[in-house]
Amino acid sequence: MLFTLLGALLIQAQQNSPRTIAIDESLAAKANLRLGDRVTISARPGGDDFAVMTATRAGYTPGVAAPETVVVGAIVRRGADPSEVARGDFLVRMHLDQLQSVSGYGDRVDRFAIATRPSARIGALVERINRVAFGFRAYRSRDIAVETSRTFQVVSRFHRAIGLITIVASSVFLLCIMVLKVEERRRDIAALRLMGISRWSVVQSIIIEAALVAVLGSMLGVALGWAASLFVNWHYQALYRTPLEFSIVTLPIVAVAVSLSLLLGIGAGVLASLRLVRTPPLVLFGR
Amino acid sequence: MRAALAQASLIRHRARTLLAVLGVAVAAAMLLDMVMLSTGMRESFRELLVSRGFDIRLAPKGTLPFDTDATIPDVAAITSVLRNNADIREISPVLGASIHIPVGNRDVSSAVLGIDPSVQGDYEFLSGRDVTTADAIVANDYLIRQLGARIGDTLAVATGYDPQTRTYTGQRKLVLTGRARFIYGAAEQSASAVRRETLEAMEGQARHDRASLFMIRVRKGADPDRVREWIETYIPSVSAISVATAIAQVDQRLSYFRQLALILGAVSLFVGFLLVTTLVTVSVNERSGEIAVMRAIGVSRTHVVQQIVLEGIAISLAGALIGLGLGLVTARYLNAILSAFPGLPMAIDFFLFQPDAVWIALGLLIASGIGAGIYPAWRAASLPIAESLRREAIA
Repeated sequence: MLFTLLGALLIQAQQNSPRTIAIDESLAAKANLRLGDRVTISARPGGDDFAVMTATRAGYTPGVAAPETVVVGAIVRRGADPSEVARGDFLVRMHLDQLQSVSGYGDRVDRFAIATRPSARIGALVERINRVAFGFRAYRSRDIAVETSRTFQVVSRFHRAIGLITIVASSVFLLCIMVLKVEERRRDIAALRLMGISRWSVVQSIIIEAALVAVLGSMLGVALGWAASLFVNWHYQALYRTPLEFSIVTLPIVAVAVSLSLLLGIGAGVLASLRLVRTPPLVLFGR
Repeated sequence: MRAALAQASLIRHRARTLLAVLGVAVAAAMLLDMVMLSTGMRESFRELLVSRGFDIRLAPKGTLPFDTDATIPDVAAITSVLRNNADIREISPVLGASIHIPVGNRDVSSAVLGIDPSVQGDYEFLSGRDVTTADAIVANDYLIRQLGARIGDTLAVATGYDPQTRTYTGQRKLVLTGRARFIYGAAEQSASAVRRETLEAMEGQARHDRASLFMIRVRKGADPDRVREWIETYIPSVSAISVATAIAQVDQRLSYFRQLALILGAVSLFVGFLLVTTLVTVSVNERSGEIAVMRAIGVSRTHVVQQIVLEGIAISLAGALIGLGLGLVTARYLNAILSAFPGLPMAIDFFLFQPDAVWIALGLLIASGIGAGIYPAWRAASLPIAESLRREAIA
């Protein structure tokens, strides 16, 4: 009897106590909210007690339901979603029925997420759902990801174009430096040629030197790039309050950068050395 | 004399001078692009906002215009309050919604704006007749293509559609009276406009006397920020956004591009600087004997310094002139890439050509050319004359 009474009191207390919501870190920081704070949520902005805006962007009918007072039960870190990075939106997580009630959405949802067994044939399943669906449509997560990541595809294309320009600039720079470096040694090369060292040996030595310079330079570049990547991630993760990795230095990227640099270095070395070995040694001496 | 000597020195090593000029040109192109990127976006957005002469936008409290489906209630009452301010010249309330138009077995949906055609600032009218009557609708070319309609056609336009029962609500017959270009719309985005009272009637009681946005034109000479403050004091249910506030918010959202522009611009300038410094330093080292002779026959240190600095400036200037042309071409290419951003208004340019950007890039390059010549010039000026001559004679 006592337990029943206690249980009933507990249930009543739970029913009377406000429900909890989870808010993201940026909202907590902006609104100066802490765990246990009480806030009033409403689908209709502009009220005196307006504190938090619901997360849904579309579909609700403003002002249908009364505002509700809730307790901040958790402060969460948002997932690494590129599509949300620059928007600066705040996110509130609440129970589905609570959001439906506050937003006046009724017994409706924006979407269902379906987890399948590892062995499931997703294509066939999507097709089957769409055959019998009435008023909705099933999509593969992958297809939705492609559609929602259009912004980042554009940014990615932009980065590739900038990368291409950077490669052109680096090539010219490298070629120029190699030409200068080789020309600086005109007299050494002339002396070697007069001593009977073959043209091919001179070219080989310059190519080896160019390759070494390119490898050392690219190693330094990789170290600089890695440090820059750390800084970029630190800065933008703090700026946008996201765990998203903005810059990643991977082995294939390092391999491409070093190979390209090596190729350009050797190319520049060949061009510069051929130019010198074709010139008579006495002319190189300035005679 | 100085110029002739500098020119002779540069011409003597044509290949290396050409490569250096080319290197500076690529760096200059990148620098111009980055200067254009850092200022163009903001300027383009500002031009878009002021293009129709409206200085202030009112959105539901805590939101940006059309960022959510929230609306501002009591349009008539708010309009009446706004009319009390003598600095406010024109008020244009806009109601935004979605419409559905059945075409055969398809449902074509579009954004629709409920406006007053005499004060609207959302579209440029292209042809036909504006929404002068309650049953008129104007649409952009994209929607007209989607509908396969022609001006004069009658459309069954609905504000609600239930895909489960395939039924339409708030349906009304409207006549497509004209074509318009929606200023804030993206290239591949359907857009249309009707009179606000028409849209209110179609939407039913829930949207009666409501607006998604107010656009306000202030009197010439009045301070929009003072008017904005006045509005926020007297109408607390709205967020008043001036052009400056809107630009600041866009700046915040697109800060990534500004910072990228700053970093890449600085790197380009540094690369150009390094290239010119290296080239001129090597050139000075090679000509140490020649410089010592000049000094020995009485040529002043200042003369030598000026000649070396002139070489650096000449390379930078030649590279800059080629690079600025190259930069304009690459800016168009890069702008075309970024214009594909989903939902970006057609009128927004990330790389906007402004004479100021060219002058800034040119000024920075010339300054870097002067800076690049200083170290080798100092080396040349401080060469020990006798020792350099002796070394040259032995060599």
